[in-house]
Amino acid sequence: MNSTQEHKHVSKISAPRSNREFIEACVQAGDAVRIKQEVDWENEAGAIVRRACELGAAAPFMERIKDYPGFSYFGAPLSTYRRMAISLGMDPASSLPEIGKEYLRRTNSEPIAPVTIDRKDAPCKENILMGADVDLCKLPVPLVHDGDGGRYVGTWHAVVTKHPVRGDVNWGMYRQMMFDSRTMSGAVFPFSDLGKQLSEYYLPRGLSCPFATAIGLSPLAAMAACAPSPIPEPELVGMLSGEPARLVKCETNDLEVPADAEIIIEGEICPDYKVEEGPFGEYTGYRTSPRDFRVTFRVNCITYRNNATMTISNMGVPQDEGQLLRSFSLGLELEKLLRSQGIPVTGVYMHPRSTHHMMIVGVKPTYSGIAQQIGQLAFGSKLGPWFHMVMVVDDQTDIYNWDEVYHAFCTRCHPENGIHIYRNTTGTPLYPFATPQERKYSIGSKVVFDCLWPVDWDKINDVPTLVSFKNVYPQDIQDRVLANWTAYGYPQVK
Amino acid sequence: MNQWEVFVMDMAELAEGKDLALSIRTLNPGRHKYTYKHVRCQVSTNLDKHPDRLQVRMGRGQLSAAKFSIQVIEEIRRLPPQYA
Ligand SMILES: Cc1cc2nc3c(=O)[nH]c(=O)nc-3n(C[C@H](O)[C@H](O)[C@H](O)COP(=O)(O)O)c2cc1C
Repeated sequence: MNSTQEHKHVSKISAPRSNREFIEACVQAGDAVRIKQEVDWENEAGAIVRRACELGAAAPFMERIKDYPGFSYFGAPLSTYRRMAISLGMDPASSLPEIGKEYLRRTNSEPIAPVTIDRKDAPCKENILMGADVDLCKLPVPLVHDGDGGRYVGTWHAVVTKHPVRGDVNWGMYRQMMFDSRTMSGAVFPFSDLGKQLSEYYLPRGLSCPFATAIGLSPLAAMAACAPSPIPEPELVGMLSGEPARLVKCETNDLEVPADAEIIIEGEICPDYKVEEGPFGEYTGYRTSPRDFRVTFRVNCITYRNNATMTISNMGVPQDEGQLLRSFSLGLELEKLLRSQGIPVTGVYMHPRSTHHMMIVGVKPTYSGIAQQIGQLAFGSKLGPWFHMVMVVDDQTDIYNWDEVYHAFCTRCHPENGIHIYRNTTGTPLYPFATPQERKYSIGSKVVFDCLWPVDWDKINDVPTLVSFKNVYPQDIQDRVLANWTAYGYPQVK
Repeated sequence: MNQWEVFVMDMAELAEGKDLALSIRTLNPGRHKYTYKHVRCQVSTNLDKHPDRLQVRMGRGQLSAAKFSIQVIEEIRRLPPQYA
């Protein structure tokens, strides 16, 4: 398919263009519930979202919030594959491999540049708070988990910044805690795009960095903000949705933000002022990273839509966006990287229940050391800090079937020759198993589990034969058994 | 009486009879609940000693059974003037 055809195909996508359209599509599909009774911003809303995540239930759209008339919450936006399919404009019943294939197709298409619209047409400008009116407490900032270090403004959002020299725009989902009415602090790790921007440019010069936090984004804008893709997020949103993202200029700086977002918070990141952040419930299912002085955001302006909806991701034990969506995009971005290096991969999958800690890679084992090569590329890439295990299985193993993967791991991974450990790599403060020192300095260690039969084993005499129905019986016997299965007295197998 | 909360890694951070610099958050009901102030203060396990109450959470959010009274002496401004 040439790029014009590809582009035409992409533009036929009918994905929800805003958080509001997404909520409506989810309600229609039975994947969101409207909660009409009043919900407390202090713990209750968080507890509803958490339970919905743990049950894999419909996303809660909470229409009345205590102390905040006129605002609503939408929780657990992308914590199921059904909602992920809806966000992409696909049939909610699409399978994970189908959704993955579609994500790869769209993100390998032509970039679609965003358009800047006039501020009078931008819904996010319907209400504007400046100067003495700026107060984050005017927004229904939730206390997501009891015992968190604060109320979290940013749990499902994008922090928009721009490199002042290169002009690269970055949208990243970095959690932001309300410290006081005009101050937030956030977990921006040093290896993240924003972390690098700050340490390369702003901090050494003592300059403040303009930012804008956009909350209540279209689901694909949020997906782009947490995708570890090298494509600038405004273009990535265009590719994912098949049409240009609509942006509008901020009120107090030169950044551009999604015009249809529910809430925009503008301000500056202070190079010389830090306040405490955390602890906070995290995607690993624990509160792990220590309370610390983190990147501090001073707020200068807040704009929001009438009847604005604040989005909430509640991270904890599986499964929420922190596991489901991140596993999805980390796996697929690694697949792209490995293919770009000519590695004959059959697929890459992260099980959300691994809390995106284990990459499962299927590969045609055509040469020696391929598992270690995959591990080194994966760990050495921008994706690397977010996981510490790479398990490599052959092309006959179904990477989506944990039973098969686990069987391969327990039977083919040589305890001495098949486990490769890398020390002193990049980690995150969020790893529950990491030592306090490792957490403080983002120090990691990694492991590759090579579950491939060694290439130098004799294929006939050394490689064991897999004893399974599919593998050891002649086709005619398999067909006969399958055809007679119910006649033998067994129920139909779905 | 105001209700406050503080996060500490170690109870020794709450030494009695000394001026302390703490980031405390208000537990008073309302929209500003859980916002912080950085203050100079004194604390005591004698709940009658100071006018306000302070409850304590440990590093990972665990609520401590210990209860303190607190006297907020003044707010310490850490914010550089250019951001005020
Ligand atoms: C709900 C959610 C919360 C996240 N919170 C953080 C965070 O606090 N800090 C962080 O560095 N990454 C966080 N991430 C992961 C980043 O969004 C992800 O690494 C993204 O690619 C950041 O962009 P970057 O590539 O510009 O660093 C979060 C992801 C999700 C889904």
